Amino acid sequence: MKSFQYATALSVDSAQQMVADNGQYIAGGNDLLGLLKEYLVDPKTLVNIKSLPGLDKIEQGKDTWTIGANVTVAQIEDHAGIKECFPGLHWAAWHVGSRQIRNVASVGGNLAQHSRCWYFRHRDVLCLKKDGDTCYARHGENRYHSLFTGNQCISPVVSNLAVAFAALDAVAVVQREGKPVSMKMAEFYADAFTSPTAHNALKPGDLILRVEIPAVRNRSHYIQASDKQEFDWALVSCAAAAKVTDGKLSQARIALGCISPVPHQVDAANEFLEGKTLDDATASQAADLVLKNAKPHGHNEYKIPLAHTLIRRTLLKLNA
Amino acid sequence: MPDTPAPKLSWPAETKYISHSTHRIDAPPKLKGEARYASDIQAEGWLYGMILRSKWPAAKITAVNLEPALKIPGIKAAILVKEGERVVHFYGEEIAAVAGATKSACLDALKAIEVTAEPLGFAVRENDAKKDDSPHVWADAPNVGTPKSTEKGQVDQAFGECDAVVEGFFTTQVAIHHPMETHGNSASWTDDGLTCWASTQGITSVRDGLAGPLKLDHSKVRVITDYMGGGFGAKFGPGPHGLLAARLSREAKAPVRLMLTRFDQALAVGNRPSSFQKIKLGAKSDGTLHAYDLDNYGTSGLGTGGTSAGGGSGIDFPAPYIYRIPNTRVKHTSVATNAGPSSAFRAPGNPTASFGMESIMDELAVKLGMDPVELRIKNDPSEIRQKEYKLGAERFGWKDKYKKPGSSPGVVKTGIGCAGSTWGGGGSNKTQAEVQINPDGSVEVRMGVQDVGTGTRTVLAVIAAEVFGLTPEQITVRVGDTHFPPGPGSGGSTTCASVSPTLFATCTDALAQLQTQAGVTDAKGDNWTAACKKLGVNPLVVQGKFAQGLSSRGTGGVQFAEVEVDTETGLVTVKKIAGVHDCGLIVNKITTESQIYGGMIMGMGYALYEERVMDWQSGVVLNPNFETYKLTGLSDIPEFDLVLLNMPERGVIGIGEPAIIPTASAIANAVANAIGARVNSLPITPAKVLAALGKVPPSTATAS
Repeated sequence: MKSFQYATALSVDSAQQMVADNGQYIAGGNDLLGLLKEYLVDPKTLVNIKSLPGLDKIEQGKDTWTIGANVTVAQIEDHAGIKECFPGLHWAAWHVGSRQIRNVASVGGNLAQHSRCWYFRHRDVLCLKKDGDTCYARHGENRYHSLFTGNQCISPVVSNLAVAFAALDAVAVVQREGKPVSMKMAEFYADAFTSPTAHNALKPGDLILRVEIPAVRNRSHYIQASDKQEFDWALVSCAAAAKVTDGKLSQARIALGCISPVPHQVDAANEFLEGKTLDDATASQAADLVLKNAKPHGHNEYKIPLAHTLIRRTLLKLNA
Repeated sequence: MPDTPAPKLSWPAETKYISHSTHRIDAPPKLKGEARYASDIQAEGWLYGMILRSKWPAAKITAVNLEPALKIPGIKAAILVKEGERVVHFYGEEIAAVAGATKSACLDALKAIEVTAEPLGFAVRENDAKKDDSPHVWADAPNVGTPKSTEKGQVDQAFGECDAVVEGFFTTQVAIHHPMETHGNSASWTDDGLTCWASTQGITSVRDGLAGPLKLDHSKVRVITDYMGGGFGAKFGPGPHGLLAARLSREAKAPVRLMLTRFDQALAVGNRPSSFQKIKLGAKSDGTLHAYDLDNYGTSGLGTGGTSAGGGSGIDFPAPYIYRIPNTRVKHTSVATNAGPSSAFRAPGNPTASFGMESIMDELAVKLGMDPVELRIKNDPSEIRQKEYKLGAERFGWKDKYKKPGSSPGVVKTGIGCAGSTWGGGGSNKTQAEVQINPDGSVEVRMGVQDVGTGTRTVLAVIAAEVFGLTPEQITVRVGDTHFPPGPGSGGSTTCASVSPTLFATCTDALAQLQTQAGVTDAKGDNWTAACKKLGVNPLVVQGKFAQGLSSRGTGGVQFAEVEVDTETGLVTVKKIAGVHDCGLIVNKITTESQIYGGMIMGMGYALYEERVMDWQSGVVLNPNFETYKLTGLSDIPEFDLVLLNMPERGVIGIGEPAIIPTASAIANAVANAIGARVNSLPITPAKVLAALGKVPPSTATAS
């Protein structure tokens, strides 16, 4: 890695000032250190944000839960209230990396992590995401890649938490140019869908403050499929949440990870579920809607039946 | 005076330690962090060493300018691997090396070196390299080598005489060597000679491999391997990194520690070759195998061996493996690719051979309507394996569990499978040992063997303790130093069968000499201290050699696997692996079991997770890390049930390698039994399981 300066910020304002145009924030550092070591980023300054006051708490409000950006993934996993109210979020956290990683990984870092595409991560491959002129994955080894994208790059979003947050209709609150801005997950990742070089819609200096989850959906679940039992990335991940009253769904949301640069959500599927009682056929129809127009690339066709299964299984868990 | 023949030795019938379980005597230093591995060596004034590797899968290197590297503060030496114009043949091939005071100085230096190169065409995948218009890996030779063919009997005619014929195409991946400790060493070159602390399976092979090219007498090179973090066939000889560390040390006039990174490890240290096996197998209606035809090709990368590898690294393998078939035709074709060289890899060839053969055996069993275990017992000439199958099947509950393929109900289906293995594992008669008995009763054993993590130190302590009537903890075992009497390289599962007879003979001789010198009839156990005291001032030092009759070769083993397969996600969960293995006389039970568990866990990796992925466009290894080169993890590991056949009458036989051989085959057969469709390609990933079940839509994409 290249040399950099290191500073600890004690306030949001000073953090943003110090990070300026060519700095990076560091919390858990899981993603950033890998990027630095492979020479994929070369920030002039690393601004430690772990000491920012008030960002490390999980707070239950009447209508909204607030999760600070510095809350660790392990804190979410261990939180009894989250386990009870948002089991989907609990399981999304449980599946992140290993316990050692979860102990230091922050919510903000999990959301802002960069692509895991093995071409992007390779120090000697100059792909489209790194301002090169071709997406190698399109014509090469794309078993872990997207079924949906709005640009030439087919690397998918891999944040587990983003998928669970999307299903819960949560917003990330980001400090931008002196003001807090609320972004739904679709907005948070929007640029990655349209631009090959983007990993999310954050602009230089933007700082994630917290995530706010509306407490309206009383049921949620998250399932991921991986090559291995644990400590492995998802091949496909799926979260679903809904308000379930007397077995009937309202405000249902389905979101999938690892098949699109954004948590994959389809309004038609969500609307289809409104007022429905879940059974296998209904879940299957919803899955069809979610996966309509999926476009595989030669080695990731298997993700279509896999995603279909995960959607059905996750939805049926909302009955429980 | 004619030599009187030495009395014939035999292992004691009643034992206190041999064939029992002694915990590793070096567990405390390992757990406390006191054990010193190659990467722990901090010789006075040591420098970091690092290697500059080719960024091209094939290129003509026309110039390398080291000057900018030498200008970086802290850099003490920069050297070329080869002078003048040269061609590199794979991504990761060594070009230059630097030594410097800090890691960051070395990293900066690698970036600063200017390499001028003309990129050449390349092919990194077997089926690309086979094409007529493929670029040549070696300018003066075709990529497709001359096939090695053998034929026995009348194969074509014999297939006509069969009642059942099955055919299949089976592929296995290139697997990378990833021991916990990467390859590497620390080297210190002074006027007195060269000392190398190496992570190696063969200290002598490192000494000789350094002395030759560096034009040093063997007597001027000392290799030390006190503790070692694993080697599975690719850690013989100094390797390019060993020679570079030594040259850097000479140049910089300081010790140099050069350990490979995990990234390097994925590129250039050797690997298990791939295979593409077209197999046809025919049998009579009673299940007697009658005809067999194998047409296999695979890649060893740019070639077998290389300076980093031991033997046994070719793409060919024993066929039809362990079975007796009168009419066989076997053809192996090596395909060169622009990728790192292959090397020996735990039971070279055997897991690959086993996967194809045991898969087609199960296909035949299904076609014949025969029980797979019975089909094997009928055609396997090894009486030991026949016995192991019977014993294992009984313990495993095979007869109750075996169902018609795919007949398991529900979405998550269960299945079982089995497979057998064979291995040599004999001892080396060139092994020597030295035992020193001190007047205070303490005992030192010195052997120029290395404990690669398998428990060799403990085995030696067990044997000495048994002979002297002491406890293993009372024995100081010193290994891993070329100043000691020569021991075997730790490969081919020969270590235990080499060192055990040697030390047993040496200790037996030492005991006799002690008793003579001390004038006692029995110096063992309680009499030990008093007898040693009578030695006076000087210790008793006895050297000995390998003794015949205490070891033999030829082991067999069988394994059974039980799996669950989720037919909607494709995930395979291994529920149980049961094994019955023999290794003659068991020296130390607990470390023997550990070897076999390790083999099963590694075999699971071959079955389900591990695979080097090459990119045909850029020529790089896409998964040079544990994120996407997936290894069996703790939560993947199932219940193990292991039976060791103790056959002391056969003497000591090695067990390290046979344990990995049948695991992947047994798992693959269990998966096929569960879902009623065969995944004919390792590793068996969820994607391949879903494809085998016909659940994956056909590809319409342009990727290749």
